[in-house]
Amino acid sequence: MSAYLNTRVSLYASRLWPDAALDNLVGATDEALAVTLAQRGLGQLALNGDHLAGQRHEARSLEQRIITQILDETRVLIRPLSSEARAFLTFWTARFEMSNVKTLLRSKMGDERPAVVLARLTPMGAFGRLDNQDLAHAEDVGELLRRLEAGPYAGIVRHARHAFEQTHDPFNLDAALDRAYYDGLVQRARLLEKTAGASFRQLMANHIDRINLVWLLRYRFNYKLPPAQVYYLLVGSHYGLSGSRLQELAALESLEAVLAALPSPWNEHLSGLTGIPGVFARMEHVAAEQALQVLRSGAPDIARAFAYLILRERDLRAVRAILRGRHLGLAAADIRTAMRRNPAGVN
Amino acid sequence: MLRAEPLLKIQLMMLASEAQDAALALARFGVFNPAPCTTDAFTESPAALYREAWLQAESRLSKLLQQCGSTGPLHVPADAEAPTLADLQELNHWLKEVWTACLSCHESSTQTAEARGHLDALEDTLAKLEHLNVNPAHLFRTDSLLAVNVGSLPASGIRRLTEALSMTGHLVSRFDQAGDQVFTVIAGPRARQAEARGLLVQAGWRELPIPDELRTRPEAARAWLQAERAQLNGKSGAECRLMDELRQRFGPRLHEARLRLALARPLAEAALAGVRGKGGLAALSGWVPRRQMDSLRETLEARFHGRYWLDTREPAASDATEVPSLVRYPVWLAPFVPLVKSYGVPRYGEFDPALLFAFTYLLLFGAMFGDVGHGAIILLLAAGLYRRLGRMAWVGMAAGTVSMGFGLLYGSIFGYEDILQPLWLSPLHDPLRMLMVAVGFGAGFIGFTLLINARNKWVAGRFGEALFDSTGLAGLLFYLGAIGLLASLGGGMDVIRPAWMLAGTGIAMVAAFKFHSARAGLGERLLVALIETLETATSLFSNTLSFMRVAAFSLNHVALALAVFTLANGLDAAGHGFTLILGNIIIIVLEGAIVAIQALRLMYYEGFSRFYSGDGREFVPLRLLPEKARAGV
Repeated sequence: MSAYLNTRVSLYASRLWPDAALDNLVGATDEALAVTLAQRGLGQLALNGDHLAGQRHEARSLEQRIITQILDETRVLIRPLSSEARAFLTFWTARFEMSNVKTLLRSKMGDERPAVVLARLTPMGAFGRLDNQDLAHAEDVGELLRRLEAGPYAGIVRHARHAFEQTHDPFNLDAALDRAYYDGLVQRARLLEKTAGASFRQLMANHIDRINLVWLLRYRFNYKLPPAQVYYLLVGSHYGLSGSRLQELAALESLEAVLAALPSPWNEHLSGLTGIPGVFARMEHVAAEQALQVLRSGAPDIARAFAYLILRERDLRAVRAILRGRHLGLAAADIRTAMRRNPAGVN
Repeated sequence: MLRAEPLLKIQLMMLASEAQDAALALARFGVFNPAPCTTDAFTESPAALYREAWLQAESRLSKLLQQCGSTGPLHVPADAEAPTLADLQELNHWLKEVWTACLSCHESSTQTAEARGHLDALEDTLAKLEHLNVNPAHLFRTDSLLAVNVGSLPASGIRRLTEALSMTGHLVSRFDQAGDQVFTVIAGPRARQAEARGLLVQAGWRELPIPDELRTRPEAARAWLQAERAQLNGKSGAECRLMDELRQRFGPRLHEARLRLALARPLAEAALAGVRGKGGLAALSGWVPRRQMDSLRETLEARFHGRYWLDTREPAASDATEVPSLVRYPVWLAPFVPLVKSYGVPRYGEFDPALLFAFTYLLLFGAMFGDVGHGAIILLLAAGLYRRLGRMAWVGMAAGTVSMGFGLLYGSIFGYEDILQPLWLSPLHDPLRMLMVAVGFGAGFIGFTLLINARNKWVAGRFGEALFDSTGLAGLLFYLGAIGLLASLGGGMDVIRPAWMLAGTGIAMVAAFKFHSARAGLGERLLVALIETLETATSLFSNTLSFMRVAAFSLNHVALALAVFTLANGLDAAGHGFTLILGNIIIIVLEGAIVAIQALRLMYYEGFSRFYSGDGREFVPLRLLPEKARAGV
């Protein structure tokens, strides 16, 4: 099974995009774009590229197709994995289903018709655990939350419901859902870390540290939340930015002070940045470089598979930005900004 | 022979305002399988809103019925009409109002239950405070520097909250837990109370109301608690009365709503396949048995008096995978059908293997597990479990009966070989003959499947494959020739020359066909033809030998029984009896299960995989009520 997965990941790795290839895509002709996409296993995006005629529902359908592509590849990678590794990657895909949950919740807040919201949900295929049809027909947010609480994401939703009932503030609901999801991901990763090696731990550390730092900066300096509340909303972590370190950072008064107080190597990577998007892009760039190293190394199966998925998703986000940007007739420089591929110069 | 009924594709066009009645008429007709409408001119979806309203109403009704209980059996009058879109939307609106009332009642009773839990916790707190040297009046003073909160929060968040609150100088102390809720006291500087409050809200904190009596006169708190509890009981009673009232008030109308939604179901379900239209016109498409077309015309004429247009056409070759398969199975064969369909649904026009399956499966099971005693026990067990197993019990009873039959042929009863005289042969005493018979049966079975496959391919219009492919007539010629050759070499018959010719002709045709159909360069085509032809020969040979397991398992059955007898004979009287009983149970359960699976495996992999595509579509007629509900009506 190990040989199978290694071969499969190596084959998939050939579909990843070097930065230069993505950059070429921005100015390529429609025909060249279609050929290049097909070569990298994205034929279905190329086929429909001509029809992404600006209308919102078609643009969404591009998003859905990209997620379907990611889910398809994850399904192939999951097959030969052990139960814990499989549980981890399955939960990794649950991010998309959590996004569906948020869409459903917002639709109830906006009193949208079930048929409208159902068309907007991402099809989860074999990874789907929710009965979207049933949930979309809940009468209001309260009923929807109770129905969700009786389902597979009870642990994630229960806390969010308690928070929401107190204030009816959508921010509280979203923040509680996000935090509970990532807490669950960290728990599942922890079970794997002993067997999956340091490389897997490093991938998780990069991901969770980025989530925590970006959330901390956003909550603290955009939403002006008090330090204790900011800390409470972050993901419980045993990685580079540990709980005690996050407490210290949350108590600081400016973005620059937070970046200066970061432990190595983040303080070096992020020095000189002045905005949250830049921090996100730089941290993602660092994480992508390390994921590429893991992918090319002899790391355990799950680490290489996880590294591939991280890189693939990043690529597909950039492809989506290019397709949308081209279609909307944006300037090449704007498309490159939207790609967030180059951390320093562009952002 | 079982055959799918010949179907016709129909397109029924009518006024869009009568689409719901047309769908209802088709549902009552009982054999209309909706299909997507392919007329390009019809660009609108006139039933989309209808389906949307129906789905919402159906969802609300099912939730109400869960709360209020069933309204009894549903009888749909033969002359009842389907609701219009406006009627359906009105019904949906009414159901929304009723469900909202019911939901608020339900929410209220949930909150009452939670409030009861809080009162219990408060009482507990009070009991604990009474034993401490603490003056609650001082503790809960609103003008002190220390702010104290008592309440509950989800257990999963307690650690994180404690860490976060430590940043505001607050301490958290838990004193009780009920379910996933942890009851805690939180104390900290009053100056930072606002900061802590924001955090507590985020954490899903629920404050326990501390009565003034507890703040000032702790001894009076119990009386307050009792009063609160009495108030909650009264509230709970009022909620129950309200629910009863809702049930009484809305019960009859809910039944009426069920009826109207049942009448609306056909168009809502047909809309899923795709009801198309333009302007005031709507079109319903689908498949109907050819022999019932006259009956359909009469039904439509009686209902619409000429206000419709019906187009019919034969299924085209391009429809092969789209046409549903409608096969009417005799009652006695029905229990075997799920076992066939677990492999796949027969394609329209494809040979339906249910009869072949039932016959061969039972034959293989009996041959591998021939024993009068064990077969009788399987028969009795299946009959005893009839209520639990449903129709599948018939498969068990049939298998038990056939096993008994083979037991008589083998002269075997509970593994004893010397009580009954075998009517045919005892596998243990003539294993070679048993092996020959098994392989002979396998050869016949495989030859038959090749013939069926050729027929399926011919019906599907794939004449080349039917005649020349390795699983077609050419493959069959080669196979028959090869059998004749082997039989002649073994001395069983003397047909070497014609067998050579037959096998040679067959394999040459297969090789030529493989060469012709490969899409590659000359060298690659030669290689493909060579390898695939070789593979044809080896796979047919190995598949035939696979049937040796039938003889092997019949021997295995006797060998297992012998092992049990050997063990039992070495023990005293009690041990002897116990070992015999236990041994027979193991034989029935373990060997019975293995043989059942092996027989299934032979059917699926040596049989079905050779001729049965199983990628057809089930004929799913439009119905007034879903399948499970119809059973209860």
